[in-house]
Amino acid sequence: MARELELPTAKDKGWEFTDLSGLDLDSYTPAPGTVEGVSQGTDSDDGPPVVMPLAEAAGQLSEIVRERFGSVVPVSDPFVARNEANWRNGALVYVPRGTRLEQPLELSVIHDGDGSELDWRTLIVLEEGADAEVWERYRSANSEGEGLFNGVVELFVGPGANLRYVCEQELSERTWVFATQRAELERDASLEWVALGFGSARGKVRMETKLGGPGSSAKVTGAYAGAGRQHLDFDTTQEHAAAHTTSDLAFRGVLADRATAVWRGMIRVDPGAQQTDAFQESRNLLLSKRAHADAIPGLEIEANDVRCTHAAAVAQVDPEQLYYLRSRGMPEPQAKRLIIDGFLQELAERTAEGPIREALSDALDRRLAEILSDD
Amino acid sequence: MATPEIAVPTLSPKELTEQEEALKEIGSDYAERFGFHDPETGYAYKAPKGLSEQIVRDISEYKSEPEWMREFRLKALEHFQQRPTPNWGGNLGQIDWDDIHYFVRASEKASRSWDEVPEDIKKTFDRLGIPEAERKFLSGVGAQYESEVVYHQVREDLEKQGVIFVDMDTGLREHEDLVREYWATVIPPNDNKLAALNSAVWSGGSFVYVPAGVKVEMPLQAYFRINTENMGQFERTLIIAEEGSDVHYVEGCTAPVYSTDSLHSAVVEIICKPGAHVRYTTVQNWSHNVYNLVTKRAVAQENATMEWVDCNLGSKLTMKYPSIYLLGEGAHGEILSIAFAGNGQHQDAGGKVIHGAPKTTSSIFAKSISKDGGRGTYRGLLEVAKGATEAKSKVVCDALLLDEESRSDTYPTIRIDENDANVGHEASVSKIGEEQLFYLQSHGLDEEEASKMIVNGFIEPITKELPMEYAVEMNRLIELQMEGSIG
Repeated sequence: MARELELPTAKDKGWEFTDLSGLDLDSYTPAPGTVEGVSQGTDSDDGPPVVMPLAEAAGQLSEIVRERFGSVVPVSDPFVARNEANWRNGALVYVPRGTRLEQPLELSVIHDGDGSELDWRTLIVLEEGADAEVWERYRSANSEGEGLFNGVVELFVGPGANLRYVCEQELSERTWVFATQRAELERDASLEWVALGFGSARGKVRMETKLGGPGSSAKVTGAYAGAGRQHLDFDTTQEHAAAHTTSDLAFRGVLADRATAVWRGMIRVDPGAQQTDAFQESRNLLLSKRAHADAIPGLEIEANDVRCTHAAAVAQVDPEQLYYLRSRGMPEPQAKRLIIDGFLQELAERTAEGPIREALSDALDRRLAEILSDD
Repeated sequence: MATPEIAVPTLSPKELTEQEEALKEIGSDYAERFGFHDPETGYAYKAPKGLSEQIVRDISEYKSEPEWMREFRLKALEHFQQRPTPNWGGNLGQIDWDDIHYFVRASEKASRSWDEVPEDIKKTFDRLGIPEAERKFLSGVGAQYESEVVYHQVREDLEKQGVIFVDMDTGLREHEDLVREYWATVIPPNDNKLAALNSAVWSGGSFVYVPAGVKVEMPLQAYFRINTENMGQFERTLIIAEEGSDVHYVEGCTAPVYSTDSLHSAVVEIICKPGAHVRYTTVQNWSHNVYNLVTKRAVAQENATMEWVDCNLGSKLTMKYPSIYLLGEGAHGEILSIAFAGNGQHQDAGGKVIHGAPKTTSSIFAKSISKDGGRGTYRGLLEVAKGATEAKSKVVCDALLLDEESRSDTYPTIRIDENDANVGHEASVSKIGEEQLFYLQSHGLDEEEASKMIVNGFIEPITKELPMEYAVEMNRLIELQMEGSIG
């Protein structure tokens, strides 16, 4: 099926800013990648909750997998179709009803060397009242390696459940990245979702949140930092399908050298989704004259008792702030870095205090050090 | 400073205020006020339905046009035929291009006196209040009925100062060199399918020329009326404002209510020379069976100011995004877009500003109100091109849904290609609202007045209102306080 679906071109809606002409899907050999953090061979005696290879789960927890696999992310574009046809490796996180995980789960997915394609699949299912934190990392075995990463993430958050999910993408800067990630929230569920877009050469990551049950709420945070000739593309959707739902999305990016970024965001309020409160903002900080950012916010509203707000801005480092810090005796590179760091660290503050926030803050610092050293 | 800032809050109160409740009445008396039609007695010519090269040649011949214009039309026709129908915005799939009269001549000539206008047509314009408005508020009036202008007059003192305000056909006849110099320089015939159609079959519209330094104090007005069924009206307007001149052009339009569809597709080009100020106000009130697909674009040179006040009340579907190209240093552009979508209507409106020179500033303020299943769409573009350093812009859109059946969409796009600027973090939407509010309040305005000024971009709202009877709804909507806008 994947072979039959044609790749989108710059004329297709949503793909205007991401050129796929250099992508030859047939040139990659499939590779399963390696994964750290899943418990191989967990037998069902241990009982849930579980983190296990998805292929294994399909046998052992077949009901859950059968019910949820592909239900949150239907085949909607050629990349999802390709993933569904080709995936061999993935993870299932399953947290049963009323269960709370004390420690964050960490999943590290390593994309093998040159010329390979990894079709990775994550399925996270939280049943009613469950509570979990999951940090997923995508990395390349070789930081110079060229490859194709094609992922699908499905997040199912049951009634009253709480999920905090971080997806950190640190693939090599010569990797194509495609991903469709979608969350579905039931009644009174809550989701905190953080995407870190640091690696990859080019591609597109879709992040969609469907507030399907009344009283559900989602906070989606995106941080990206590009250098060299990286091109980062994010497509976000906040779909309010039920009344009394809240969504709050903030994306921020720092772009150096000739890096470019596109963010396209849509807030959709379905008929009957009254008392919706939706917010989205996109801010970019450009560190060089050749860096470029596009922001394309959008609203489609079919209910009349709602509050939807969005804001977007593209800016450079504020010379007044810089001047102020320098007048206090701080050397310029340090002052600049402090300002850029402050811009990104505001995102970490959107998550509750705790290990996740600290790890986020560290990850942002680390990436900033990388792109500023290239500068 | 490239400080593009875009803020689109939408807030509808749980219970409508009295002022909002009253909006539900808008349009309910359309049939009586505007929806009537005249008999077609005494019509000079009505082209058969459909579009062909022959029709285009006939139009050109009827108008005894110069060769270059005929060639221009024929080339445009090719563009029209080659281009696909746009598949974005509203639904254009139901337009039957073959079921339209592309040219209808109701009267043999454009008169300079209402007494010479055919009786039925004169009565219609009387009923619309045009001659009365002319006496009271206007510097000049053009009245177009079907494809051509039936009445045109401009105040003598302005004529003496060199102001030209004639219908486009007359403009081409009497000022051919001037027309030819600027014609299609702002909107080329292959700009889009509908602009190509207009370029092929255009008829009527206004030609305005304001010499350097001349300030036209009272507005010039053109009123467009469709009378016949399955009509296509394709007026073409060209405004040239020379250095330091000032002019306000106002247009209104209405049509009878029919069960079949008509098409209105205009092209409006405006050239604001250095330091000139042009305001173009539209009160669009076509009946609900008219597709309104219009291309409007202005260029503003050094320190010029261009303002679009674009109010869309009528039509079945409107797709119109007045644009401003700020091409000279210090140029300023402003768009106030107001849309009202009732039952069966889709207003796909907005505006575009392209900053193409340093120190240019702009603002776009959009308000849309939807009721009874109507759909209001804001579609906009804000672009800062390379080299447009220290550009500043602001976009604010508000939408109000009066009931659960209606729909609002917002598609703002920003493209920034100029980063060679030093820019501060700007505050969040609501904060800016509060700061502005505080600033104005500290200057002695009460909160309501201050909010109104913010919504209207610091230009006295009252100056954007019009005294004409057909503009009462627009004035109400300009005054309408929308809570969302102040965060």
